[in-house]
Amino acid sequence: MKNQTSKNTFDAIVVGSGISGGWAAKELTEGGLKTIVLERGRNVEHIKDYSTALKHPWEFKYRSHLSNKELKERPIQSSHCDATNKQFFVKDSEHPYKQINPFKWIRGYQVGGRSLTWGRQCYRFSDLDFEANKKDEHGVDWPIRYKDLKKWYDYVEDYVGVSGNSESIPHLPDGVFLPPIPMNAIELHLQESLRKSFSDRTVINGRVANLTKPKNGRGPCLYRNLCSRGCPFSGYFSSNSSTLIDADLTGNLTLRANSIVKEVIYDAEQNRAIGVVVIDTITKKEMNYYAKVIFLNASTIATTAILLNSVSPSFPKGLGNSSGQVGHNLMDHVVNEGSYGTFDGLKDKYYEGRSPGTIYIPRFQNINDKTKNTKFLRGYGIQGKGERENWQTKSTEGIGIALKAQLETPGKWKISLGGRGEVLPNYENRISLDTGNRDQWGLPLVKIHFEYGSNDLAMMEHMTKASEEILIKAGFENVGSYRTSPSPGSAVHEMGTARMGNDPKTSVLNKHNQMHDVENIFITDGSCMTSSGCQNPSLTYMAITARACQFALKQFFSDKL
Amino acid sequence: MNRRKAIGGILGITGVSLVSFAGAKYFIGNSSHKRGNLETHIDLISELADVIIPPTSSPGGKATGVQDYIIGYLENCSSLKEYNNFINGLNDLQETSVNSYNRVFEECSANQKQQLLENLDNQWNSKGIFLKISNKLLGKSFFNILKTLTVEGYCTSSMGATKHLIYRPIPGRYNAVTDIGVKQKAWATK
Repeated sequence: MKNQTSKNTFDAIVVGSGISGGWAAKELTEGGLKTIVLERGRNVEHIKDYSTALKHPWEFKYRSHLSNKELKERPIQSSHCDATNKQFFVKDSEHPYKQINPFKWIRGYQVGGRSLTWGRQCYRFSDLDFEANKKDEHGVDWPIRYKDLKKWYDYVEDYVGVSGNSESIPHLPDGVFLPPIPMNAIELHLQESLRKSFSDRTVINGRVANLTKPKNGRGPCLYRNLCSRGCPFSGYFSSNSSTLIDADLTGNLTLRANSIVKEVIYDAEQNRAIGVVVIDTITKKEMNYYAKVIFLNASTIATTAILLNSVSPSFPKGLGNSSGQVGHNLMDHVVNEGSYGTFDGLKDKYYEGRSPGTIYIPRFQNINDKTKNTKFLRGYGIQGKGERENWQTKSTEGIGIALKAQLETPGKWKISLGGRGEVLPNYENRISLDTGNRDQWGLPLVKIHFEYGSNDLAMMEHMTKASEEILIKAGFENVGSYRTSPSPGSAVHEMGTARMGNDPKTSVLNKHNQMHDVENIFITDGSCMTSSGCQNPSLTYMAITARACQFALKQFFSDKL
Repeated sequence: MNRRKAIGGILGITGVSLVSFAGAKYFIGNSSHKRGNLETHIDLISELADVIIPPTSSPGGKATGVQDYIIGYLENCSSLKEYNNFINGLNDLQETSVNSYNRVFEECSANQKQQLLENLDNQWNSKGIFLKISNKLLGKSFFNILKTLTVEGYCTSSMGATKHLIYRPIPGRYNAVTDIGVKQKAWATK
């Protein structure tokens, strides 16, 4: 038994191997800690397990379509995956949860998590974001500011490899960039048009974690634009291609797949977490792992579910929940379905290769007094992509030879724009556990309560109108928007539920992402977010993780944990 | 005679009965069909694919195996509405063919085949903005399904993508702005 315990004892436990768990693994192992990473899903070995990466379109039986059987297994995930990448999304039928209101919980249960399929957009938060809660009194104040995170953004960007341009936009700070993915002819046209027509908005090169130059033996990107299948050329950043490999090289990493963390073991006498209980998904057996430091990086909703399931006499409402805030303040970015238009011109221009990037229109509302919007607080950014229509997007007329001629020639230029807006923290938007309904491992199902507020909806309306206005002013035709509003969760940017804050009475984590109640637990995935900004959040999780790891290492080596 | 009442519809005349007896109560107005029998119409579907995308200097629909894709999709991926609309559409087409030319589609001349499908294409296009609404209520129409699947199957087939379009599995670089070439072909993938 003693042996068993020592075999299962590490310096650190990291729960989850996605984008933030991968960083925790790298930083803690490089800092000298014997670390076990526990991943609930199967192993996905970089390159070797990217089974569809090099397949041609005709090698998929139903092309990109999911079969009815596959759809039935994935009623929720199917809006975000297709036949070419479905192996990196869960089957909803195997991993049920309860939607009290519609909320898409898009998940990838495997080593690397959703870092395999993420959108790769990397934008820094600024003090406009970190100060927002304090200024308009929604939620609680962030315990950190941009100056606390700046060097960590630098650090992670330099490692990740973010392509982009420096723009000197105060509320969208520049970073450590590789050369940007250039804009094509229509994107340049839109950029020029905005320069002429608007004083408040501008088009910049999207900032993406695709390598425009090789980095540490990875990449460069070969412009296939098939990232979500996994990249055999390591052309974009994922845990699998980068952090987990470097963590492994230290000799300090133990990676255990097929390991669901059921709960954190709390020792009331020491007021510490001493380990976690794991269910092996294959043998269904339970076992314990012990460590001095525990990082929870299971993803926003999953991390919080672990806390809520870790009940003890000291924490009857869930571990670290003396504030009553665990599970609350769930956020996702509000997105519209998008606007589009075609352009009758630039017919002599085309492109070679397929860009995995986008263009970006940074936030232009509520930045200062001049840009104050009376309908909503905070703001949104717009991502876009220009292309020439091909058979996939053209509406073709006729049949026979006439049809063939249309198919083989490049169509009109087209741009699609989609907004991503900040959702206000709201106590009522929350997750909880349904102990009366359990999954195949006997764990209570997650219940999600989430509704957009009036601010979020006003912003959604504005982003659609503004996108159309931008296209019309730039001379686009057939400008329109998809009017159905997507379900919350569609941005796959779940945040909140274990927020950072200065006051232990109103927040779960301190400024070091250390749990107020239990000091040797750190949470650095999306759960920790005090507000949501409008930027794609993964870069901020990575910077926050690296920062918290440095703090944890210092504490560990000075015997404070 | 109401065609929907004729068990098997006009396809029955061609020697194949498609309609499930279990679905008999739906015959009036809305025939319902059991999945799994489309393969028996592979020759007709191949013919249709070759009229929509005929062989020219590049291969036609049939040579690229579009019929297998259409059948595979409809049997395994389509909604029940789409599936029924497709089979009813095949019936309707054969009926129109017999009424107009006294023969089933496969036996029509090239001109007659072209005429029959052009009529369907025009009907579909003339719906304009009502198309989306109609799609939502009734499911995609027969010809919409047929044409969309033919185009998709063709452009994503090995021969269609490489001979009629240009396909680069691994571009290697991104030239964001290029001058369009003489007889520039469209990229097969995005």
